[in-house]
Amino acid sequence: MRKLLILAALPALAVASPALAQVEGRVDIDGSVATRCLFTLPNATISLGELSLTSNGKLDAAKVNGRTATLSGWCNGAASTMTVTTTQLTTGTAAMTGFDNRVDYTAQATVNSVPASDSSLTAGAGAAATVGLFSGDITVLLSAAASPTGGIMVAGAYTGNVKVTLTPAL
Amino acid sequence: MKQTLSLFALAIAAVPSLASAQTVAEGNVGVDGRVAPVCILGDPDPATVNLGQLSAASGPRTGRVATIANRTVLLPASHCNFAGSVLTVRATALIVGDPAAPQAGFTRAVNYTATASGWSGGASAATSAALRDGSNATTSGSGAIQPLPSRADITLTLSNFTTPGDGFLVAGNYSGTVVITLGPAAVAN
Repeated sequence: MRKLLILAALPALAVASPALAQVEGRVDIDGSVATRCLFTLPNATISLGELSLTSNGKLDAAKVNGRTATLSGWCNGAASTMTVTTTQLTTGTAAMTGFDNRVDYTAQATVNSVPASDSSLTAGAGAAATVGLFSGDITVLLSAAASPTGGIMVAGAYTGNVKVTLTPAL
Repeated sequence: MKQTLSLFALAIAAVPSLASAQTVAEGNVGVDGRVAPVCILGDPDPATVNLGQLSAASGPRTGRVATIANRTVLLPASHCNFAGSVLTVRATALIVGDPAAPQAGFTRAVNYTATASGWSGGASAATSAALRDGSNATTSGSGAIQPLPSRADITLTLSNFTTPGDGFLVAGNYSGTVVITLGPAAVAN
């Protein structure tokens, strides 16, 4: 048993000796992935239909509250955020005393159970919510619909807008 | 040494792409709706006007139409939510139920004036002009066009009760109707 161990050590020494004449080059390879957010479905429309009550001509809030739309997208940065900016529903016809030509509401966008919301009663975007990495649906929900004075709604076509902004961050 | 420089170049090239791609993404949900043009008339108060005894019961006018006080009916909180509405009144004379032609000197119709005010600058009025046999009982009148969406209390006044030829009134129960219409003004072609 002892003889066999000595013989096995000799080949190992013979192999190591040629490496003393070699040089070694090395290529390091690196890259990066930028933080990005992208909407794969960037547009949707919520058509509310008739906004007024037939009984008294005032806003039928039930036509607005609970309505939803779905966008799709993704963010690849762990600190990515989402904000919502709402623009109230308006029509071009002026409102006399006792009438309203505007409908305010709140819009909430939700990604992976993380909500961000904004009310059209206040200017600008709502508070940013950290959504992190996600890929999938962004659900937009309307609520808290109201007209400024609770008056009779002026006849016409009404348009508004909800803007969802995804900001990438690491 | 040449190998070392190449490695630096690779590393530097990777850095700018990290910064330039960091832009926000925006999604957009359009929200639209509509409000149909509509007019609503307040419920008339009172809904029925009972004039009571129409003929004079004594004196030189016994049997002829009595002096009947004006009556008013309120239609509160009437409104149209669009510009260009008009209020129309259609008055039908009070007619007794018996359709038979009355004898000479008698009448089975009582005319009156219905005036609806409060909607636009001018009132809407109609004066019925039924003949003594009760024919031609209905007359219509419209007011000025309301140029703006409006909400107002409309007051209907019934006045000027007369009979054709100031004849004697046929006995019986008389009934008439005033129809008030609030809607878009007719547009000329």
